[in-house]
Amino acid sequence: MNRAAVAIDQLGRTVLEYVEEMGKIALLFLSVLRWMFQPPLKSHLIFKQMEFVGNKSIFVVVLTGAFTGMVMALQGYYGFKMFSAESMVGSVVALGMTRELGPVLTSLMVTARAGSAMAAELGTMRVTEQIDALSVMAANPVKHLIVPRVIAGVLMLPLLTVVSDFMGILGGYFVGVHLLHINSGIFVKNITTIVDLDDLYNGLVKAAVFGLILSLIGCYKGFNTRGGAEGVGKATTEAVVLSSITILISDYFLTAIMF
Amino acid sequence: MFSISSEAKVGIFVLIGLIILAYMSFQVGQRGFGLKKGYSVDVFFNNVAGLERDASVQIAGVEIGRVESIALKDGKALVTLRIGKDIKLARDVKAAIKTHGILGDKYIELVPGKDEEIYIHEGGRIINVESQADLDRLLNQLAFIADDIKKVTGALSSVLAGDEGEASIKDILENSRQLTRNLNTVVKSNEATLRAVLENTRQLTENLNNVVTKNDEKMAQTIENLRGASEQMEKTFASLNDITESIKKGEGTAGRLIKDKDMAVKLDQAIDSLRDVTDKINQGKGTIGKLINDEETVNNLNEGLTGLSRYINKAEQFRTFLSYRGEYLFDSSEAKNYLDIKIQPKQDKFYIVGLVSDPQGKKTIRDTTVAGVTTRTEEWDRDGLLFNAQIGKRYKDIVIRGGLLESTGGVGLDYFALNDKLKFTFEAFDFSADEKTHLKAAAEYQLFKHLYLSFGWDDFISDKGQESPYAGISIRFEDDDLKYLLTTTPIPK
Amino acid sequence: MIELIDIHKSFKKNKVLNGLNLKIDSGLITVIIGRSGGGKSVLLKHIIGLLKPDRGRVLIDDTDITRLNDRDLNTIRKKFGMLFQEAALFDSMTVKENVAFPLREHAKMSEVEISRVVAEKLKSVGLTGIEDKMPSELSGGMRKRVGLARAIALQPEIVLFDEPTTGLDPVMTEAINQLIVDTQKNLNATCVVISHDLESIFKISHKIAMLYDGDIIEYGTPDEIRASKNPVIEQFLSGSIEGPIKII
Repeated sequence: MNRAAVAIDQLGRTVLEYVEEMGKIALLFLSVLRWMFQPPLKSHLIFKQMEFVGNKSIFVVVLTGAFTGMVMALQGYYGFKMFSAESMVGSVVALGMTRELGPVLTSLMVTARAGSAMAAELGTMRVTEQIDALSVMAANPVKHLIVPRVIAGVLMLPLLTVVSDFMGILGGYFVGVHLLHINSGIFVKNITTIVDLDDLYNGLVKAAVFGLILSLIGCYKGFNTRGGAEGVGKATTEAVVLSSITILISDYFLTAIMF
Repeated sequence: MFSISSEAKVGIFVLIGLIILAYMSFQVGQRGFGLKKGYSVDVFFNNVAGLERDASVQIAGVEIGRVESIALKDGKALVTLRIGKDIKLARDVKAAIKTHGILGDKYIELVPGKDEEIYIHEGGRIINVESQADLDRLLNQLAFIADDIKKVTGALSSVLAGDEGEASIKDILENSRQLTRNLNTVVKSNEATLRAVLENTRQLTENLNNVVTKNDEKMAQTIENLRGASEQMEKTFASLNDITESIKKGEGTAGRLIKDKDMAVKLDQAIDSLRDVTDKINQGKGTIGKLINDEETVNNLNEGLTGLSRYINKAEQFRTFLSYRGEYLFDSSEAKNYLDIKIQPKQDKFYIVGLVSDPQGKKTIRDTTVAGVTTRTEEWDRDGLLFNAQIGKRYKDIVIRGGLLESTGGVGLDYFALNDKLKFTFEAFDFSADEKTHLKAAAEYQLFKHLYLSFGWDDFISDKGQESPYAGISIRFEDDDLKYLLTTTPIPK
Repeated sequence: MIELIDIHKSFKKNKVLNGLNLKIDSGLITVIIGRSGGGKSVLLKHIIGLLKPDRGRVLIDDTDITRLNDRDLNTIRKKFGMLFQEAALFDSMTVKENVAFPLREHAKMSEVEISRVVAEKLKSVGLTGIEDKMPSELSGGMRKRVGLARAIALQPEIVLFDEPTTGLDPVMTEAINQLIVDTQKNLNATCVVISHDLESIFKISHKIAMLYDGDIIEYGTPDEIRASKNPVIEQFLSGSIEGPIKII
């Protein structure tokens, strides 16, 4: 076989592997759905994960949100200044945060923080046979381990996004009004006229979808870890990469559908 | 150590998140709240280009409602407004689409009516609509004017700012200086004479005074004459104003005029002749005078413009479609191709001319008489092209057409459904006596904007075994260039 | 009774179990011996349904568990207890929560009862007062004993041990061996043990099964195994390099 053929063969295999992986993730999602509606729900496990995904991500989300808003205000200011439309800065920051940057950046941060942790945790449980132990004790691992994480992801991401949106707008307000001396009344008024409820809510729907994606992929990668400590590391990296890519790609399609 | 459970921590976070969400929702959605309760009012516009849903509805710049929906109805834009419940609109309120801001956001301005007896209620309609000012045209005109102004100032600056200009100004000043010095010398050297002159003048005015008092009445008449003269002057100036318009355009001329040494003389002459001209114009003499003063001219111009706009309207209405259709006949495994141009001068009327390549080919019937015996031979020319030339008229969802169908006389009937996306067709042609009529039935569905799929049954009562189901695909698009090309040729009405 | 019939299992191209047949008698301690990486753990995981064979049947009390759905398999699994190689305690839970886990899952007990049972089980493996420790704070031997306490919490009929004594000092090894024997006696359970430790094997086992090349080549009492003329077993027991078992 010549080199080209090998390359094509390799490409085909890679594509097939990805497709297979997507299929497996989809199947995992179905089984999560199935177990989600089988009582009893492990509420303490869910709350534990919600605390992990939500509360413990607040700091990083506040930080990224605020600074993103500030940077947007600064950049937008120089752009709008050319048209003497500095007062539009607020609406651009608000629209950008609610529609796009809030959900996406929050999800990426949570992926890095919690998605990777999910993969590492489940990966460790897999290689130390804790997942087998669960099965042996007639406790379904999907129900005990994955369902709480996915629920936490889907519920907490929108909330974190709300915080991120708010902090972003606050950051933009700070830079715009206090540093760049844009009239505060006009700044706020432009936000409220241009931003719609739909912008806000669609951003939150996006965030929920991203929460599903990152928790599902994190769990999938961890759950299917092979090969000891090295395997755990690999699973963690793959989870972050695959989640981030999937979030960005699905963001495009969600945006296309929603707006 | 006191520790808070996960549940409590999550609860606090959720609470904070929801509060922020509620706050933001309220801020952003504020205007949506009270307004939902208001009432809705319809208004028809000819053109709402640029108007968006949720655009502002204002009276005197105060927002009193929002545009709830925009829809097309009977070729006009039906805009539904939601008006705050505290606002009462008189029946003769006037609506207009206005633009504000440099970004050109459109909003609806309502001018309150005077008829305060009757108010518009829920579901009512605003009848007075101010047609939209054509901003583009206005801007265009402004641009032209700005251009003219630039030319004039350019010419002036080239005259005054150049070295030459500076030199001539210097000359003028130098001359004035010398003149005043000379005057001074004259005055000094002739002091005695001047004094005498002044004395004479004094006596003269005294005399004059005597004359005036004696001839009061005559004086009044003179003054009256003077007034008449000044009135005449005023008219002249008005005419001059008109003329300067044209001078503005004559960039070079004005410049030259100012620079020229004989300026004064020439200007004088020019003004004289101008006055002659303007007088004449004012009196309606000459062609231009007639043009300007004649009512008829204005009427003619108006008619001309109306005609032009009608012509443009016709072009808008006039539509041309090009289409290609391929039909694959399953039974004979052959394809039939159609290339048509459809010309639609009016919404409900069209002409089709086209070519058909039929695998069956073109039938030629030839009678040959050999030794008194006439033999009729039918020849099928497989490369032959058939022709389509039809005229059609549409009544609502039904189209009746007739003419040449595949080079034989025939008629066709189309029925449209699903907003014209689906078309059922029935055609009958080739009524020649010696074989059964060619009948064809088909359904066509618009898959994408320009792409159609069709299925049908061709020649289904054929006595030659030519009946066949078929599947077809067609591409159809409207040709704008062709349209404008064709509108320059006379259009049958 | 546990019965494995014609079990085939391979991972990718590596054939691990090749038409294996084994009948494990109830109420006895059966030790499965064999080479490292020879498929003993795989065999154990088949018994409890963690792995499904490519071909063949696994009968637990005459029920073929390879064909069961999740719900029925879980019913069968409640009969089992399993001690994993590294104990597989849940890192995120305390010792008490670990041992209580099967109780909370399957037995409807009050918290008081659970505390009592947990203490009792921990005591039976020789541990007291460590309920609130995390697994990471325990030594290897203690972790194994906690794991055993968790495995026997629901009074299982069958207890599986995956290399229970590997990596322990001789004293702890002896202690664990004694626990296996006691557990079997107390619960009257069927015990399946995987081990390399020859001394322990002959001390605790009622039956020994030798797994070699994907199949059970010898199954019998310790004395029968010791007397076997099978060259593979002779080499395995003597621990010599020469023989049919190739060192790769």
